[in-house]
Amino acid sequence: MLSRVADSLYWMARYLERAEHTSRLLAVKLESMVEQSREDADASWRRVVGALAAEESVSEHSDAFVVTQALAFDRDNSSSLVSSLRFARDNARQVREQLSTEVWERLNGLYLQLQTVTIDSIWVHQPARFFRDVMEDLYTLGGLTYTTLRHGEGWHFLEMGRFIERAQLVSRLLDIHFGIVALGYGAPPPPPKYFDWLVLLKFCTAFEPYCKEHTAAIRADRIAQFLLFDSEFPHSVRFAIDRVVEALHHVAPGVPPARRAQAERLAGRLKAAVDFGQFDDLTGSSIDKFLEDISKQCEEIHNAVFSAYIVYDAEAVL
Amino acid sequence: MQQGVLQNTEDFGANAMDGAMDGTGNDARPGRDAPYKQYVLGAAYDEMFAHGGGVRPHYAALNSRLLSLAPEELSRRQQACEQSFLQQGITFTVYSDSQATERIIPTDLLPRIVTGQEWARVDAGIKQRVTALNLFLRDIYSEGRVLKDGIVPRGMIYGSKHYRREMRGVSVPHGAYVNVCGTDLVRREDGAFVVLEDNLRVPSGVSYMLANRDVVRRAFPGVFRAASVRPIEHYPQELLTTLKSLVPFQEDVSIAVLTPGVFNSAYFEHAFLARQMGVELVEGRDLLVNDNAVYMRTTSGLKRIDVIYRRVDDDFVDPLIFRDDSELGVPGIFNAYRAGNVAIANALGTGVADDKAVYAYVPRLIRYYLSEEPILENVETFLCREEKSLSHVLANLDKLVVKAVGESGGYGMLVGPHASQPERDAFAQKLKSDPENYIAQPTIQLSTSPTYVEGGVEARHVDLRPFILTGEETRIVPGGLTRVALRRGSLVVNSSQGGGSKDTWVLSE
Repeated sequence: MLSRVADSLYWMARYLERAEHTSRLLAVKLESMVEQSREDADASWRRVVGALAAEESVSEHSDAFVVTQALAFDRDNSSSLVSSLRFARDNARQVREQLSTEVWERLNGLYLQLQTVTIDSIWVHQPARFFRDVMEDLYTLGGLTYTTLRHGEGWHFLEMGRFIERAQLVSRLLDIHFGIVALGYGAPPPPPKYFDWLVLLKFCTAFEPYCKEHTAAIRADRIAQFLLFDSEFPHSVRFAIDRVVEALHHVAPGVPPARRAQAERLAGRLKAAVDFGQFDDLTGSSIDKFLEDISKQCEEIHNAVFSAYIVYDAEAVL
Repeated sequence: MQQGVLQNTEDFGANAMDGAMDGTGNDARPGRDAPYKQYVLGAAYDEMFAHGGGVRPHYAALNSRLLSLAPEELSRRQQACEQSFLQQGITFTVYSDSQATERIIPTDLLPRIVTGQEWARVDAGIKQRVTALNLFLRDIYSEGRVLKDGIVPRGMIYGSKHYRREMRGVSVPHGAYVNVCGTDLVRREDGAFVVLEDNLRVPSGVSYMLANRDVVRRAFPGVFRAASVRPIEHYPQELLTTLKSLVPFQEDVSIAVLTPGVFNSAYFEHAFLARQMGVELVEGRDLLVNDNAVYMRTTSGLKRIDVIYRRVDDDFVDPLIFRDDSELGVPGIFNAYRAGNVAIANALGTGVADDKAVYAYVPRLIRYYLSEEPILENVETFLCREEKSLSHVLANLDKLVVKAVGESGGYGMLVGPHASQPERDAFAQKLKSDPENYIAQPTIQLSTSPTYVEGGVEARHVDLRPFILTGEETRIVPGGLTRVALRRGSLVVNSSQGGGSKDTWVLSE
């Protein structure tokens, strides 16, 4: 597979994962805010802004309307929903011939549809419903990707992008809720309450699976245990890293072991950390370090993949 | 046959078939009755209506269908066509201010229909023409017999900015310089197809030919089936076969389509063809040359390429040989090509032969190389480089179309009858200062074809661009891109100047 194509597929998947995450956070937040006091809702909005690393696009005392506008529709905010979709679509367009018609037309259709939507047009109806629809369109896109593309090298690059992004997004979300990352604006929000932990599960589509595993007893340590270390839940960090490791085995067939070594070693190391970790071992400041490491190691895996397969020096392989 | 299965669609209802079967069933007159109230029959040949206003037999089925459809239904189908293009991303990007907007090239709902008999002549004519042009290219890049024999002026060839000295002595597989040719044909007032232009460099539009078929067949399934339209869907396979024939081996041929990238207005087409052929779509930055062979950079290392279907102009192919500011090309690729280590389609340097001045000589080239009479005529052409012609052109600017020799896409031209006096005066100055750069032709009343416009069906001028593939042999799919000037009365069909396109139906009989 062309390196440029692998690059585009990888980024397309990352941006789609980000778009899905953003629309889910907004849907869940807009649905849940009616049950919160003004102060609690405000604190929780600020965690959402922090989780999406959008502190620069929102001023401290913005209301739900303004924040939603910034996170969803602000074209100048490179991490907004419309920006993520635009980048995903730009990448898809560059590798149009690698995608199935089903995948391309669904993504292109969603992109075109979002061009016509404004915050005003959704706010008068049920804004949460709108983001749920976008999210479901993105789920459909995920299904089409799974079911209409060959599960060849390109598909594994999509998987890698999607799950590296997911591991980072989920660990950042945890980080924010455990109060470790300082938000880029204003005073730190108060510690999450019972309801906020419940919302955190919903941010990760984890509420029902969590209850099946741990009953409806909402406890921060069990939530962290579940979102970090559960081996079977698709939005856990461990599950995501497993997918990354798996994808790495399938990309770049025929490449000599020496060139594969670095990326596979880094991914294996991270896999071991989440395979054998448990929350009880992480007390106090060490969870801080642990979450930070996950993000950093994802970054290192990304860099190793790029230097082995995408931007390598041609002279070196001749 | 699947008749039983298909019968539930409305287009298979009785009234759609009546006209198809007996060619009667209407007396709607152009200029009088709906939906043709605004249909003006002028001096031009009309594809659908004969001179007296009667429907030509091969349009009878379509006519019946149009009469049976409510105006809203026509409008709905037209919108469905456009929606489909947008959804598929068949768009080109227009850059203005800071905004980049994507537009579709308008596609018209109504097919342009050509009879099997008319097509047979077109097919033979364009094949003959491309054969002669390939012989001509081989000649001027080797011994130059045609120049020595005084058939074509030496200066016109060697002085052309599209003549590539670097191509002299380069051996081109099967002598096929032009592997993909798009020949623009128009119909004269008398109904005869004549050649307006040869496009021998990187002709585009074939994806629209295929995409138009796709949407129009869905809009008129009944008429389509009744009319027995010849298929064109195998174009990508034919192209692949042509490209493969450029190398002596047939197993594991590594082929790539070279595109300038996603910002090019024809990017959709490049991606489309690569996908349809199942070959790689590459950009210059994906390729590199080592030891006179071309490689692409893949995740698993470098992979050799044998054939490149390039959709990049000559100038940008190799910055070492041609334009050194090109970032679209591949340094060193020309040497690999000259060494025979990679085949490039079309060959470099073909532009010299679709120059508008060389165009005037093509009938002579056909006689010279093939000892045959041209099957398709040229449009009468005055070379302004000849003094007598120049004074004729200057005296008749209001009747002529003047074109700059090296330009394409409808740029640098004057449509005399439609220009104002000051515009003509300004153009006359340009002509006098650089006569060699211009040719002139009488304004041809391109034929008109029924075209959907809001509220009904009107006559609009059209041309026809079939695509000719040449490798070891010559292949033509029966059809082409019909371009249509969407503005009433306009004769300019280029998409950059407000043109659209239509599906082209070539009938079996």
